[in-house]
Amino acid sequence: MNATKTAPAASPNVPASRKTPGWLQLLEWNKLLLTVVMTFFGILMIVPFIWMISTSFKTPADVFVYPVKWLPNPWNWEHHIKVWTGDKSFVTYYMNSLKVSIISTVGATFLSAFAAYGFSRVEFKGRNALFLVYLSMMMVPPQVLFVPKFIMFEWAGIYNTHYALILPGMFTIFGVFMMRQFFLSIPYEISESAFIDGAGHFRIFFRLILPLAKPALATLAIIDFSWHWNDYENALVFLIDEGLYTVPLGLQNFILENTIDYNGMMAAATAGIVPMIVVFLIGQRFIIQGISNSAVKG
Amino acid sequence: MKGNWMKKQQLLGYVFIAPNMIGVLLFFIIPAMFSFVLMFTDYRFMNPNVSFVGLDNFTRLFKDEVFYVSLGNTLIFLLSVPISILLAFVVAVALNKSVYMKKMLRALYFMPYITSGVAIAFVWMLLFQPKMGPINGFLRAIGIDNPPGWLSTMETSMIAIDIIWIWFMLGYNMIIYLAALQEISSELLEASKIDGAKWWQTIRSIIWPLVSPTTFLLLITGLIMTIKTFGIIQAITQGGPGNSTTILSLFVYKNAFRYYEMGYASAISWVLFFIILVITMIQWAGQKRWVHY
Repeated sequence: MNATKTAPAASPNVPASRKTPGWLQLLEWNKLLLTVVMTFFGILMIVPFIWMISTSFKTPADVFVYPVKWLPNPWNWEHHIKVWTGDKSFVTYYMNSLKVSIISTVGATFLSAFAAYGFSRVEFKGRNALFLVYLSMMMVPPQVLFVPKFIMFEWAGIYNTHYALILPGMFTIFGVFMMRQFFLSIPYEISESAFIDGAGHFRIFFRLILPLAKPALATLAIIDFSWHWNDYENALVFLIDEGLYTVPLGLQNFILENTIDYNGMMAAATAGIVPMIVVFLIGQRFIIQGISNSAVKG
Repeated sequence: MKGNWMKKQQLLGYVFIAPNMIGVLLFFIIPAMFSFVLMFTDYRFMNPNVSFVGLDNFTRLFKDEVFYVSLGNTLIFLLSVPISILLAFVVAVALNKSVYMKKMLRALYFMPYITSGVAIAFVWMLLFQPKMGPINGFLRAIGIDNPPGWLSTMETSMIAIDIIWIWFMLGYNMIIYLAALQEISSELLEASKIDGAKWWQTIRSIIWPLVSPTTFLLLITGLIMTIKTFGIIQAITQGGPGNSTTILSLFVYKNAFRYYEMGYASAISWVLFFIILVITMIQWAGQKRWVHY
């Protein structure tokens, strides 16, 4: 979509300043050639997705036909129907995943912003030391935390419930780090003039800073949502009941029970991936912006 | 008056941080301390007899053959990081200025990173299918009669995992490189062109050194992120065949939740922490020295 906008605009700009038409110059031919090469490899990058969707619509006999039949003939919907309406329907997994991902994401985004404001725009004793403790927690791998969390969740009675995913999911150190970076980039004078007008920190946070941080909040929310949606490791450790399974676990379950139904597997995988493709297409700008900022300024 | 205001600031700072701090305490700091104690015990799940065994878990670990196998596998897994970074550099330089449809191409390369979880691992499992899968189908078509068994043989399984991981990380690395390339002034590149530098000379002696801080950052964050992962491997091979794809992080998971050796698993997990600590220390030291331009 973006491509149609930029591609025609790029070429007419060049020849205006030169005598030979741009598209005839060697340089532009190079550019065209490189575009073709990079498009080829770019499509290669998404071949797994294309193969997945195509296979999910094929008949079982056509799965491994070589050369690959990219367009299914005939189109076969039964695998998708099986995934969505079978005795272990993906509807349950979807509802579970949506519940866990949405609540965690909303919680994590707000709590990160709230703490990040404290870490960046309120001055208090021990602030930097505390932030260092936060950063040091980034070094602790999840494997260190799985066993103690498992035991603690057992005690607390939240093991094998969605709370075991939602509650820890609302706290991300990366989120605090990212929002703090953003808040530091907002000039402090804005706060000072608000103080003079008699506003307190809460009012400044909700009325001034949060509205300014909308793009950063959107970025964090999208990245966070994709983490939670794709989170397989925590679900694997903390859930047992099939009725509680999120999409990644449901997918694994489906594949364990249908080891030779390759079309069904790919229909199930498609069900798991399509929401992320949609999120990606809608939020691409935010995601790319956010990832670039967090690394370059960090 | 002023003192009062400062006191209020002080208190407000804690108010802002408190909600998040409680969670970080409950789900990071306390479990970490708990795990630190557990590694000196022989705790097994559901077993009420727990005793402190000192460093026994580590003596056992250093005699455990699978531990060394998993360390080796981890190293092979980590090799995917520099490879992915190099490929991402090439892609980023190509996409930076010298192509049409830049945004669409960028999206193509970036898509695996944002959309893939375990689901895509299952797709790769079928793509790598040794007898009939499309990858080996292609290899046979171009004349390789005995294509590798990929995930199904001990010799090649880790390589197949690396390929998946390189594919996955490439887009992320590329985005960071593209951001870094934006910072390079175009005058500098123009100047080198006027001086008659070939395009590969410009890349090698101007662009590559200028983005070295980014390369270093990507290497460190990539190593740390990779060493913590086990999800895709657990999903498609469960560490097999044999132990040929059991990396350290998966080894922890297996001991804790397959064999319920939770004390032992805690000890191994701290080895993992120690490796991350070393990488982080290299980062601190290297930030000053290793980055040159």
